[in-house]
Amino acid sequence: MELNEIKKGSYLVIQLPSRLDTSNYTELESKLIGIIDRGEHLIAVDCSGLVYISSSGLRVLLMALKKITAASGKFHLCCLQDNIREIFEISGFTSIFNIFETVDEACS
Amino acid sequence: MKVKNLVLVNDESQLEKLAEFLENAAYEWDIPLKDTMNLNLVLEELFTNIVFYGYTDQLSHEILIQMSLDQDQITVSLEDDGREFNPLTVPEPDRSGQIEDRKIGGLGIFFVRNFTDDVTYQRLNNKNILTLKKTIKKI
Repeated sequence: MELNEIKKGSYLVIQLPSRLDTSNYTELESKLIGIIDRGEHLIAVDCSGLVYISSSGLRVLLMALKKITAASGKFHLCCLQDNIREIFEISGFTSIFNIFETVDEACS
Repeated sequence: MKVKNLVLVNDESQLEKLAEFLENAAYEWDIPLKDTMNLNLVLEELFTNIVFYGYTDQLSHEILIQMSLDQDQITVSLEDDGREFNPLTVPEPDRSGQIEDRKIGGLGIFFVRNFTDDVTYQRLNNKNILTLKKTIKKI
């Protein structure tokens, strides 16, 4: 899995792949843990390319949110496509994740 | 009525075949992307449940998926020879509460209920048969 990381101010922007499911969630999980463990506690996740997420993918995002929140950091999401936003709403995730419209907003 | 069949084995790597199967059906039958993705989600959740919890042996098992389109109604049936399990009996997940209390368990079945119009379960000849119906909205 290619995971693009871009530094934007004090935030690290991570671009998600197009699919996040049972076939690749462990890969994302270990990459995110690595990023958080090296001290990046301000993370903005750019979901603009994400068109498919299953509960395995949601589990990884929840894990990262919990880990960063415990470290008093911020784990922001942005640029969700409509169908992904719907899945977040159904999951009740819109009330625990900070979701922004643009990368800039997510990094401020 | 159009019909397509897919035979998968109980290995999570088969999800790629499932996604490909749905992509092909969507293309041939002109199913909107959103409905295709939602169906993919529903079937992934059900399939992974079967693979992770359905079998007590280490053997290879077949999971049969049949998908049909009749006018604007899609019907998908999943058939497996795993232990008896009716996903409709799974309680709804708690979708409120603080970050620390949130869990993923149960969300999969919740997606199934949310993204389909009708779900029925049957136990027949030692097989679980789950039938999903979904009306698609063509533009």
